[in-house]
This record gives sequence, structure tokens and C-alpha cells, in this order.
Amino acid sequence: MKIIFTLNGVSREAEIVPGMNAQVFLQQTMHIPSVRNGDDGTGFIGNDVILVDGSPRSAQRLMAAQLDGRDIRTIESLNRDMIRPGRLQQALIAAGAVQDGYNAPAAALLLHELLSRNAAPSREEITDALSGLFVRDCGYEPYYKAVEIYKAMVQGGKYDDVAPSFRDDLRVVGTPVPKIDGPWLAAGQRAYVEDRVAPDALMVRMLRSPHAHAYITSIDTSEAEKVPGVHMIVTHENCPNESFTQAGQGFPEPSPYDRRMFDKKVRHVGDRVAAVVAETEEAAREALARIKVEYDVLAPVLSIDDAEREDAPLVQAGPMEYVVGAPENLDELNRDADPRDGTVTYQFPIGANTRKNIAASISGGIGDMEKGFAEADVIIERTYDSCQIHCTPPETHVVYTRMDAGRVVVHSATQVPWHVRRLVAKVLGLPQNRVRVIKERVGGGYGSKQDILLEDVCAYATLKTGRPVYSHYTREEEFLACSSRHPMRVTVKLGARKDGTLTAVEMHNKANTGPFGNHCLTVPMNACSKSLPLFLCDNVAFSVTVYYSNIPPTGAYQGYGAPQGSFGLQLAVAELARELGVPHMEIIERNRVREGSRLELMRILGEGREGVAADIKSCGLEGALKRGNELLKLDEKGESSDPDVKIGKGFAIIQQGSGLPGLDQANGRVNLCSDGTILVQQGGADIGTGLDTVMAKMAAEALNVPLENVTVISGDTDMTPFDTGAYASSGTYFSGSAALLAAQDLRKNILETAAKMLGVEPEDLDIDYPGVVTGGKEELPLTKIAHHCESGEGPGPLSGKGCFVTEHHAIPYGAHFAQVTVNTRTGEVKVQKYYALQDCGTPVNPELAEGQILGGALKSIGHSLWEEMILDEKGALVNPSMHEYCPPAILDKPEDFRAEFIFTDDPYGPYGAKSVSEIATNGASPALAAAIHDATGVWIRQWPFTPERILKALGTI
Amino acid sequence: MFPIEKHHMATSIEDAVRALAEDETSQVIAGGTDVLIRLHEGHGDYRNLVDINKLDELREIRMDEEGNVLIGALASFTEILEHDVIRKHVPVIGESVNTVGGPQVRNRGTMGGNICNGAVSADSACAALVHEVDLVIQSPEGERVESIIGFHTGPGRVSLKQGDLLKHFRVRPGNYKGFGASYYKYAMREAMDIATIGCAAAVKLNGEKIGELRLAYTVSAPTPIRCAGAEEVAKGKPLTQETLAEIAKAVEADVRPRTSWRASMEFRLHVIRTLAQRVTRQAAERAGGTF
Repeated sequence: MKIIFTLNGVSREAEIVPGMNAQVFLQQTMHIPSVRNGDDGTGFIGNDVILVDGSPRSAQRLMAAQLDGRDIRTIESLNRDMIRPGRLQQALIAAGAVQDGYNAPAAALLLHELLSRNAAPSREEITDALSGLFVRDCGYEPYYKAVEIYKAMVQGGKYDDVAPSFRDDLRVVGTPVPKIDGPWLAAGQRAYVEDRVAPDALMVRMLRSPHAHAYITSIDTSEAEKVPGVHMIVTHENCPNESFTQAGQGFPEPSPYDRRMFDKKVRHVGDRVAAVVAETEEAAREALARIKVEYDVLAPVLSIDDAEREDAPLVQAGPMEYVVGAPENLDELNRDADPRDGTVTYQFPIGANTRKNIAASISGGIGDMEKGFAEADVIIERTYDSCQIHCTPPETHVVYTRMDAGRVVVHSATQVPWHVRRLVAKVLGLPQNRVRVIKERVGGGYGSKQDILLEDVCAYATLKTGRPVYSHYTREEEFLACSSRHPMRVTVKLGARKDGTLTAVEMHNKANTGPFGNHCLTVPMNACSKSLPLFLCDNVAFSVTVYYSNIPPTGAYQGYGAPQGSFGLQLAVAELARELGVPHMEIIERNRVREGSRLELMRILGEGREGVAADIKSCGLEGALKRGNELLKLDEKGESSDPDVKIGKGFAIIQQGSGLPGLDQANGRVNLCSDGTILVQQGGADIGTGLDTVMAKMAAEALNVPLENVTVISGDTDMTPFDTGAYASSGTYFSGSAALLAAQDLRKNILETAAKMLGVEPEDLDIDYPGVVTGGKEELPLTKIAHHCESGEGPGPLSGKGCFVTEHHAIPYGAHFAQVTVNTRTGEVKVQKYYALQDCGTPVNPELAEGQILGGALKSIGHSLWEEMILDEKGALVNPSMHEYCPPAILDKPEDFRAEFIFTDDPYGPYGAKSVSEIATNGASPALAAAIHDATGVWIRQWPFTPERILKALGTI
Repeated sequence: MFPIEKHHMATSIEDAVRALAEDETSQVIAGGTDVLIRLHEGHGDYRNLVDINKLDELREIRMDEEGNVLIGALASFTEILEHDVIRKHVPVIGESVNTVGGPQVRNRGTMGGNICNGAVSADSACAALVHEVDLVIQSPEGERVESIIGFHTGPGRVSLKQGDLLKHFRVRPGNYKGFGASYYKYAMREAMDIATIGCAAAVKLNGEKIGELRLAYTVSAPTPIRCAGAEEVAKGKPLTQETLAEIAKAVEADVRPRTSWRASMEFRLHVIRTLAQRVTRQAAERAGGTF
């Protein structure tokens, strides 16, 4: 049928079939990339919003036929041009609301519609307008600021600073400046993997296991292969026999190689069984339905208790092998190994014993525990349980692969381009020079995109068929086969003197890694290593035991184990304070780390290797605690007018790291372009965090040039030098430092060249703003120098390079304060106030950092109060959709929700900067649990703190 | 691509009814917020759609000369909650359709769809039950009127037959005049679009006493329900805490909640009892009573 409608002011005609979905029609036929599908049409994410006759509608809930006769507007209708988007989008960028940017066009459209009805909307009206939009990255607060900025722009006036500035001595570092990739993201330009797909791309769809634990006894693809348009079907019978870990970690990884592209054994509901490569989505789905699989179903292992049991089924029952450090009794351990499970390969020992479902284990300590507990007046021991939590990025996992000049090109939404290249090359049996990985803009990663979930299959299909191949997880697949927060059971034993001085701290962590060992040692260990060093105690012991099971896969998620560890240790200290009758603040002050502390403990907390002791050169905890108390007034009891409603307050101190000193490496090149502008080539992966802006600022600052003269190319294995990737809070510290070193190197080269041109010594010269070499007989603008270099007499274009490695820790600190109300009749908890006080050294992008802190805090408020991946007795996820899993959105945000910086100047960080966002997930659980106790007198020691759990603890039900 | 074979854009009510009656596989699509989700899931029952979106006469909200409040089956949630007639006479219906999902869903979702899809969690069902709304239905045989009481016949089932098209809801004056009404959606979260328990009450006072209580729940039995036992207990009782406690106790016999992954039966029962008190009290206060 034919439809006629108006699209962004242009009359359009289109021939459509009745079942055409309006979102697919607009994105793929009308080429409007920003009308997206984030939730399989269930309507939670809201990035499919369009204006139909001026009113916002969800495009996924319209058929293309229903557009007939309508006026349709998308983000393009708000753009002035593709470099300068409209004012509303500029306001969103300035406010720091455009982070990963995936949903920025939808936010702009929703606010545009509101503002066209109401030029001065209230906070409630803004909340309502955005109540159908999901973002995970900025905690929603920047949207309110954006409306204020927009109003000021419309009135031609100035607007207040969007965030404070921190460095009077610097031009752009430490000052809010619009994010450099903001304009094209907010304008809806092509930027994400799905925007790169050629029309002739084949689709990959995966057949997934209905069983949590089973052997595939037969698989028959013959009927499926007959479906027209099916090119190939990959199963365990014809896939490359190469084992690997999906974890994108530095090689050699502390994660076992315990999976192949397809295995004979399936280890979780949703595990890969087969991949269909077909001309269309429909053909692929049709073929999936015709694959016949028979299973020998085994009993599933669904919890740590299950895994520990004497006669527990073994999740990884194959033989173990070691690249180095095999245990002496390996042959004995392997005696009953089942070859159907495949070999598990360890790069080095990580304390595993698959015969007992143990994926990894480690223990250690300093001092004398017996002595420590003997010195204590009070000893408490408590156990804290966390549950499995999903990352829920707005953009599900996606990859697009193609051949180019005899090489495999992988367009990926990844945090780790170099690890993707290494793994894809390994699985395909190619040398790494035959593989190129291009990190596109990423619509939210949060850790889940540190793992390789689709790249291997799509790259293999491209290599085999020669065709471009595209695959994009459905939201359900995202829930079933992604990586998520490990469930952990953390037991904390504390000894203290009457005055609150800690004499002994013990932390034992049992974690559930699920079917594979990706990140199995490092995440649970991080629960200890990012929480124990907050306290100065001479006697500290820890142990970590990690179990395999048949739950959906776990892996990296912002905080990387620290939220679970922080929940245990911080809440135990709060409980100890009550036990001792000492104010919580006093016990924290008495024991906490401070500037000048030497942390011997860090020696034993390396990532599967010997660590180094840390000298703490910057620590903003004192300021954070003082400011938090000033805002929340812990000593003043909150009063409610409703007798059923109790008010409580709580807080916690937090830390993270800044990358992995001794393990990570970042590299950059900074080039002088022909007209004196700057091109930064940098391996770091900006996953929406503003890392490209950080790197641009480093170069602009070091070279004294305007920020708009700096362009950043990043995360492309052909175009930029090696970087370990965006994980472990390494972006600013590692990639930022590499950019700074490279810019300083270029500065040196510029001055040397200018000195020759001017006949003076380089030491006499300087680069002044805006990019002029001064100190010689004449001023030399960078344009002139660049031109000279590229002329017939010149020495060639100038560039600088920087490689950053370090042994020094730059640890970010913070304190989160919360005030809750608890309705003791219904169990409902509301977060009234939430203040995140954080020390990230110099906040390089203050407005983006604020949003990231709030985003991290809101995620962890969700983890604490509401979110949980729930399995049935057979291991199937019962809530694999956004509206059932239901992460927090704007209506769930704390009423008074603020992030503030406690400025410190770290001597090791670039311009004093430390990491900022990952740490923000560590405070909510202990702070909220302490506040709930303050309100009601009950300790909730298990995530999530549901009304049902609270009412049970209160004895109401 | 939605798995659709036929999409008929109806040009009139008669045309829609004819199309629906002609083919037993045909289904109405109104706002599409429900049907298209099922189609996204690949549901096979919606291959043949009769689209009523161009029937603007079904969008109308008004009061007729007899004082009946009429709500067109195709009126969107936004249109209902913003309409003066609704705000003035049956505000609880507006409150109950003020669901989350944002303006992009509220502008599209309809009360007609919300009731006709038979969902046990339908936000507007409680309000419809306490106002005992009539459903004015067109079929090939002509127009008929059914009450919402008894309209839900089972989980996801209502008493519509092939060829039936709901035209509008009608609230008779006797079912709203003199009543104070209230609705509360207990969800685990503000952003949660599915109620754990929904509860509405309408109260008519007789002096200082409860003349009539109408109490309705969603997600508390296989269909949205009214609570005959609790309503009987309330009759003639004074506005006191004791009365509320009696209602809360009596309601236990009216409901049949079950344990699901979202909440246990005992927790649901606790919420049901708590809401009985909270919502009845607010409805009575809105009727002018004081406790």
C-alpha cells in the first residue's frame, strides 16, 4: 500500500507492506538513524519517540500505515545544520545531559514538545515529559539544568554556570565546556554501530538454550538450511575449535579460557546453541525455528549453596590445563574429566578447582589476626548478600563486520577495541594485522561492553561468506546472555576497642560467577581491594572463593565488585558503631585512610599478581565527610507528620582506583595539521564518559590552543595506538595521561622546530594562547610552523607521542549521604535526599562528571532497593524485559539529588585528575541500609531492600 | 516487521463492525500500545487488524443531556485525564489512567483498549468498577449495553464477541453523583508500569455514616474485582478507624491473591488490607466525611 505523509516538513510518499513497523520504516527506509529500538517495542526506553501531528508517540507502537496523512517530526526538525544543532540540543550538551548520547535526540524531542506548549515548565512538568525515557548515565538531573539554559538562551540572557570550575590556572581542564562529540550525537547524526550497516548486510540470529545445564546430544540443521536466504548455520560441530574467555582483559588474562564459539554443553538458559546467518531477520528467525536439537538435561547449579554441595553437578567438568604454574596433582584432578565439556585453560594459577565448581580463589592478609581479635573489646560478625544485577545499557550489544581489502573490519560498541582485535584474530585464526576494530559511539557500556559477546560469530560469518554481517541483541538476549553483577555473600568480622579503634578486620567473600570464568577472580577480589584499604588497621585478612553455576553470565559492571564489598564492610562498621554506642561518624573518623597514609595492604591486593604498597598523596575524605554532614545533619532526627512514616539518615565512605597500575597501558599521538590545528590519535575508548573531551582538553591545555582546534580520533585499532581499554576507571588517568604526554612531546617538537626557524634556543620559546610561539624576534603562529614543516624545505609534519604506564595509585575517594522515608505499614522506601561528595582530584569535565556521579548513584540506588534478576527453579530468568526488571527512571530519582566535588590535586594524575564515575556505585547500598536502620531499627542485609523484606524484618508480615 | 497479513483502516463504525464480523481472525487495534507489544513478541492472534484510529467520533468525551458522562473508546489517556468533564465528575477515572510510560504512551493508549484487553492489572478497571460504568457496544445485530460488572470473564478474557466494537463508556449520574472516589496504584516503583495491587473506592455518605462503599481491586484475583463482603460490612458504619479495620479484615474473604515472583501472597494480602483502609478513607474524605 502507498502512504503519503510529511517528514520534517518534506512531503513523502512510500510503498509499504501492512506489517511494517513505523520505527523500522523511519530508521531504515526513511534513513532517520535516531529513531531507535531499545526495548523490542515494550516501551520503556523511549528512544523511538517521534512527533505525530506535534504530539510525542512511540514509533515502535505505530505501524507505518498509520503515518498516512500525518505530520511526522524527528530530531532533524530541530537542527540548524549538522555542525550546529538547535538551541535545545545545545542546552542539553552544555548541561552535561548528552553523555552516551544514544537517547539524546529522544530527550530533545520530548522537551521540545513540552516547551512548545509551556515556555516555563515546572520541575514536575519536566519530570512528566521525560517519564517515558530511560537513561542510565546521568541521573536525570542535567535535564532540568538544560531547560534552564534553554530558557536563558531563548531570552538572550546568560545562564548560570552549569557546574563549578576548579582550576583558575588552567583554560579548559577543570571547567565546564560543551562535550566535543555532543553536537553530532544530539543532532542525530550517524554515530553508533547500527548506523553503519550496509543494506546488503546479512543478519545473525542465535539459537539459545532453553536449559540451564545440558549436553547437546544431537543437532540437525538440515531443514533450517533449506530456508531461502540462509547462508550458513554455525554450531559446535562446525565452529572454530578455539577456546577463549569473553572477558576483555589484559593478556595474559586472570580469567580461564573455558568456552568456545559454540560448545557441546550449554551452561545457562540462553547459552549459544547455533547461529543462523541469513539475508533477512525473518529468514534467520524462520531457520532458528527449524533447527532440531536434542539435549541430555542435567541438574542445574543455581546458587553458591548448590555449587558447594558435596555431590554438586560440575558446571565445567572438562580437563584443566595451565600455560604456567600447573599444580602438581593436575593429572589426578583431571582423571574423571569429561571431554564433552572442553578443556579449561589457565594462563596462570588463579586458585581454581573445577572439580569442586571453584572458578577461582585467593586469600591473604597482613598482621596477626589472633592478636587483633584478642585486643578487641567487641567483636561482631555479619553476613551480607547481594543479588544479580543487570547493566541495562540503552543500546543492547551490537556488532557489524565486513571485509575490506582482504581484512576483517569489526564495528563494535566496545570498551576494549584491542582486546576485541586480539580475541577475534585468535578465534578466526588470523594474525592481528588482518583484523581492524573500530569502536563506534557506545550507547552505554557500564562494564557489559568489556566482554566479547557477538564479535567472534559475526567476524567468522563475514570471513566465511565475504558479506557484511550485522547482529544486534534483542532486549531479552541482553538479559539472558550478557554480563551482570556477581551475586556475592560477604561475611565481615570486626574487632574494635571501646573507643571504636579497629583492631582486626576480616572479610570473606563467596561469589557466584555463573557459567563462565570471565572476570571470576578479579571482580570478587575487587570487593575486598576497593573496600578494605579505606580503613587503617594493622590486622587484616581476606578470602575470596568463586563458584561456577548455571545462572546467567556475570562479568564486569561499574564498580566491579566494589559495590558488594562496600555494602558488606561499610554496613558492618555502621553495625559495629551501634554495638559500641559510638557515633558512626566517630568510628569512621577514627579509622579512615587520610592523606599521607601508606597502605601496605595494597601489596597483597594485586589483580592475580603481587601488588605494590600505596602512598596516599591525595584524599578528599575529610572534606567529603564534613560537607555531607553539613548538608544532611546526621545528628538531627527527621520528623514525619505521618505516624506510619519514619525518617532515617545514613552515610558511607567509598573509594575506587584509577586504572590498574603496573598492568594497564595507554598511548597517544598528537599531530600538528597543515593549518596549525591539532589531531589527537588516541587508543582510549570513549563509551559516553567524555573521554574524547578529556583527551582534547589535555592537548588544548598543553599546547595552549583553543579546544575547537583539537579533533580526537580514538578507539580504532588501525588509526590509533594501543590502549588497554575503558575499564577499571582508567580513562582519565591512563588515556588522559597518554594524551597529555603526547601533547607535551609535540610541544617540545614544535619549540625545537620554531627555534631553528627563528635561530634561537628552544628554551627561550613558549607557546602562548591561541597557539602562537613567542619569545623569538617575531611571533610564530602554529599555522606558519605547520606550513614550513610541510614545505619543500621542511622537516615533515610534526607530531608527538606519549606512552603512559605507572606504578602509582591515584585513588578517588568519596562519601555518600542519604535520607530515606520508610512507610512501616507498606514497607515503601523513598529516597528523599541523596548527596554524593566525591574527590576525583581535578574534575576535568565538571558538568559531565557530576552527571556520571549521579548516574552511578542512581544505578546503585536501583540495585539496593529494586533491581534483581530473578530465576525460576530451572534457572530461567523470569523478568527478562525492561518493564519487568525495571531499573530506576526519572520518577524514582531522589527528590533532592546532588553531586559535589571535594577538590584535591593528585600529583600522579594528569593536571591532578583521578577517576570519577565507577566509584559512584559504591555508596548507595550501605548508606541506604544505614538510613533504613536509623528510621526503623532493622538492618537489611540482603539486596534488594524490598518492602516485603522490610515488613518481614519489622515483624509486620 | 509485524506479523500482520491484513490491516484494514475502518472508515466508519459500521465498516469496522462489518470487517470484524466478516472474519473471525480479525482484531481491533485502537491505540496499539497493547496489540503492537504482542505483535513485537511475535504473537500470532493479531494477523488481521481492523484499525479504528480514524473514527474520530469514538474519541469524544462529553456529558449528555441526561447527565451521563460519556468516554469514547478511542479517547487517549491524556485526553481523559485532561478533560474538564472527567476532572469535575469522575476524577478517579482520570487519576487511574495517568499511568507511567510517559506522554508518548499516554497520548496513544486508550481506556477502551485497557478494559477490552482484559488485563488483570488494567489501571482503569478499578475506577470503572466503582463507577459501575456501562459499555456501549455496537455489533452487526445493533447496539447493546453491558455493565463493567461481570464484563471481565477470566484472565485476559472479556464478554466481547466477534463483530463487537466498544463505542464508548457511559457513567450514569447515579453512579457518580454524591460519591467521593479514590484510586491507589501500589507498584514496587514509581517507574513500574504494572501495578502490584491497584485499589479504588467510592463512598457515598449517609450523614456521618457510610451509606455505600464500592471497593475494587486489580491483581488481587484472576480478574479485576469488586469486594461484596467488605462493602456489606461498611454499610451504615461510622467514619472511624475501627470501621476501616473491619473493612480491611472483611476484604480478605473477597480477594484471591497469589504468589508470584513480584510478591508473595502474604505480602499482597497485607497490601490489600492496608490499601482498603487508605483508599476507603480518602474516598470518604473526598465525599466530605471526616474521621
